Amino acid sequence: MDWKKFFIAFVAAFGFIFVFGFLWYGKLMHGVHQEVPLLWRPEAEFGNHFSWLVFGHIVMAFFLTLLCSKFVPAGGPGPCARLGILVALVYVGNDFIMYAVQPITMKILCGWIVGDLIMFGVAGAIIGTIYKSSSSVTS
Amino acid sequence: MKRFVFAFIAAFIFIFLWGWFYNGVLLKDVFAEAQSLFRPREEMMSLFHWIVIGQAGLALSFVMIYASGFAGGGIASGVRLGIMLEILAVSARCAFYATQPFPAKLLVLISIGGFIEMIVTGVIVGAIYKPATARAS
Repeated sequence: MDWKKFFIAFVAAFGFIFVFGFLWYGKLMHGVHQEVPLLWRPEAEFGNHFSWLVFGHIVMAFFLTLLCSKFVPAGGPGPCARLGILVALVYVGNDFIMYAVQPITMKILCGWIVGDLIMFGVAGAIIGTIYKSSSSVTS
Repeated sequence: MKRFVFAFIAAFIFIFLWGWFYNGVLLKDVFAEAQSLFRPREEMMSLFHWIVIGQAGLALSFVMIYASGFAGGGIASGVRLGIMLEILAVSARCAFYATQPFPAKLLVLISIGGFIEMIVTGVIVGAIYKPATARAS
């Protein structure tokens, strides 16, 4: 494994996931989330738990990069984006379950599903673009 | 294709039964401690089909990921994939913990159950699904 490329791919994936998450879930979906205000922590309490959000995103980016590097050793944006979308489908399954057990609205569910698919698909493509094995780079 | 379908069905049945037993029976009282975050029972039951669809989607995507790259390694690869996918799920739970007032105990217990679920699913899928090349050799 090329650890230098792995690290760069991981950092890029984390950067993208974090920024996308902030824009999509935090800004674009803010109004939709506020339709069920009781489900969310108050602003100040969220600030106290912010480190968990960052930690979650770091782990997410690291293991997505690991999955891509183990799985698609040749790299490339297409195959890694495909893997990212497959991983997103696991999350989508969980989103459906969340919808059944938590009082979230259909709009929130749809927003989460679209967000998961875009986030993991693009993150996978970024990882695949950066992480390429030496053999595939030289060939 | 036949093994793919068998692996999917077996994984789905396990995920369904485990989900019911672990979350519905074993963790019933722990979930009750955070009742305000969940739908009332009757409402949940009226949306039960979404749980079934979600679990089927989970099983299907697991088998699809396994079949598209992990399949050569058998059960060990299935377990490895299960652990990796559950770690990804735990990372999402960390984000949920930051944004929703879930008790930490509940998320830890859900994650323990999730690891068991994904590892056993990996064993099942790894044991059933064999790529055509592996079967031919």
